[in-house]
Amino acid sequence: MKRLHALTLVLGMAVALTGCVKKTAATTPAPSPGLFPGSATSRTAPATVSSEVPPPPVVVPMDPTVRPVSNDPLVNTSIVDINKDSPLRPVFFAYDSDSLDEPARTTMSANAEVLRKYGTWVVTVEGHCDERGTAEYNLALGDRRAQAVKNYMVSLGIPADRLKTVSYGSEFPFVPGHDEKSWSQNRRAHFMLTAKQ
Amino acid sequence: MLRVMTISAGIVAASVLLAAAPVAFDGVPVPQDPQRPQAEVSVILTNPGSHPKIGFQIFNASTPALTEAGTTIVDVLASDLDFEKEFYVIPRKASAAIPAASSPQTLPFPQWRDIGAEFVLMGSLRDVGGGKVEADVRLVNTKAPNEGREEFTRNYGGCTVAGIRFCAHSIADDMHKQLRNLDGVARTKLAYTTDRDGDKSVGRPIDNAAPGKEIHLMDYDGAGDQRYTNLHRLSIAPSWGPDARSLVFASYTTTPDVFLATLDGRPLTRPAQGNDSMSNTTPVLSPDGTKIAFTSSRGGTGGYYDVWVVNRDGSNPHNVTPNTERSSEGAPTWSPDGSQLAFTSDRTGTNQVFTMKADGTNVDRRTFAGKADRPTWSKLGYIAYTLERAGGHDIAVLDLARGESRVITDGIGSCRQPTVAPNGRHIAFVTTRWGGKENIATIDYPLGKEIRQVTTQGNNTYPNWSPLPSGK
Repeated sequence: MKRLHALTLVLGMAVALTGCVKKTAATTPAPSPGLFPGSATSRTAPATVSSEVPPPPVVVPMDPTVRPVSNDPLVNTSIVDINKDSPLRPVFFAYDSDSLDEPARTTMSANAEVLRKYGTWVVTVEGHCDERGTAEYNLALGDRRAQAVKNYMVSLGIPADRLKTVSYGSEFPFVPGHDEKSWSQNRRAHFMLTAKQ
Repeated sequence: MLRVMTISAGIVAASVLLAAAPVAFDGVPVPQDPQRPQAEVSVILTNPGSHPKIGFQIFNASTPALTEAGTTIVDVLASDLDFEKEFYVIPRKASAAIPAASSPQTLPFPQWRDIGAEFVLMGSLRDVGGGKVEADVRLVNTKAPNEGREEFTRNYGGCTVAGIRFCAHSIADDMHKQLRNLDGVARTKLAYTTDRDGDKSVGRPIDNAAPGKEIHLMDYDGAGDQRYTNLHRLSIAPSWGPDARSLVFASYTTTPDVFLATLDGRPLTRPAQGNDSMSNTTPVLSPDGTKIAFTSSRGGTGGYYDVWVVNRDGSNPHNVTPNTERSSEGAPTWSPDGSQLAFTSDRTGTNQVFTMKADGTNVDRRTFAGKADRPTWSKLGYIAYTLERAGGHDIAVLDLARGESRVITDGIGSCRQPTVAPNGRHIAFVTTRWGGKENIATIDYPLGKEIRQVTTQGNNTYPNWSPLPSGK
């Protein structure tokens, strides 16, 4: 029984394969009169046309090691490298102040755009102060600056859980000088990327 | 009358404490820095008439190998005595020409009296084998009718060459205790923050503005500096526990949190249990070591800190300045008996110093001029703090009994972040007067006559003075 099944299968497949490969319409010649009793009256039996099934398109399986090519360099840049030259720009403050002026709001609007574009980025807003004032006072002032920035970003629609805050007070000056030129650079809220997804 | 008191056991025990140097947080022993060169000894004394005048003879060394130790021990001892201003130290130059005597009876008393010495400090160092050195110290009276009488006689059996400075410090503390009934601070230490190690904090956006700041420990005179933390990030605001056996400090992982160290190589713990949504900083251990007061943003809106207290084991954290949502409270310090806290608050519009009971009740404003920050409470009944006036900083002291504040530093450089010595007679602080960098200095209280530079390299901040050593 098994052998018959197998044979039938093979024959069937042969027929099927044969049917697949043929490109031209298959026509079966009309049966000769007399071969089939009862069909002598018909000399031109209609030709049997077998419908042609076009072969399915050739599919090459996708190579899983090939990454989709992106036009955006930030996608492939590390967090450390992004932070060295970040699309998120810092916000600056007046002396002893945590108020946001017009340039600050403009900067934050731009930063919000960046955070909308990269919707999985998580950021820490660092509050910094210049070296004047006590170290302890500056820890609190830096925190107020970071919080003011976070609150404004949230008001622009950035979810609060994507914005962490920390204060470094006057411990981490970006510019090491002892004049207003340096101090003004150090009175900032700095956006540090901490996670990309 | 010859009194020989052997306290070798105490010295040995203390030497072991020093020899078992604090290991860095990561368990690797910290190499000792070479000792700093001794600064010129000051001889300015405001009222020399009331203080015993001491001349110093070089120590007799039993072997040539001990000669340098013999010089060091006298230099350090003279500096320690001069520091407390209880003895008048005759300038070393004045006594350089006087021939050294080998015994108290053979001192050339007339020559010593000629340069004003009422007493002569003399001694000897003897190699007793096994790396140990025995120090014999005598303070000899020069004035009739007590010429030759020994006012102080001690034998120190467990000294070492490497620990010769500690030997001198022990002698100084013993002399102050016995002869002036004073707890000297010669064996105390300062913990502080420095960027001197030159390592960078990880992940900063700009490499040249990324100083790692680590916690260091040094003798009160700046010698014996040891790096304690090795965390390659920002670690600040260390504070000693009682018996100088614990240390708390703040360190930034993502945000700052309080770390508790036991200085015996065991892992640090985080009793304030911070996370990346809160800041815990400027911690201080209570005088009995059971609690930690600290500044925290926990539970509040950003930038409005409160003073919190937590048990050393992390239990019962609680806000002791609640209901202050629109003001910032922080920089706490414990009263010497642990029943009160002083702290900074800006609730009146500018930073001022307040005191309260440790449970947060009985809040009292204590400063009223300029801006005041970072109080530190002395057992002599005063609170030292940073005073800001017209853009400059000085150290001020508030006399608690009189309710009066006065400035004790001299307006040179920026003077901030005071910490008081455990005997109340000195204040260490940060100043920029030497080349613009932040360095730690000490000043004497109450007169404020002598400012001594303690650190010389890097930027050094957040000093904290250790308690008196136990078993003194």
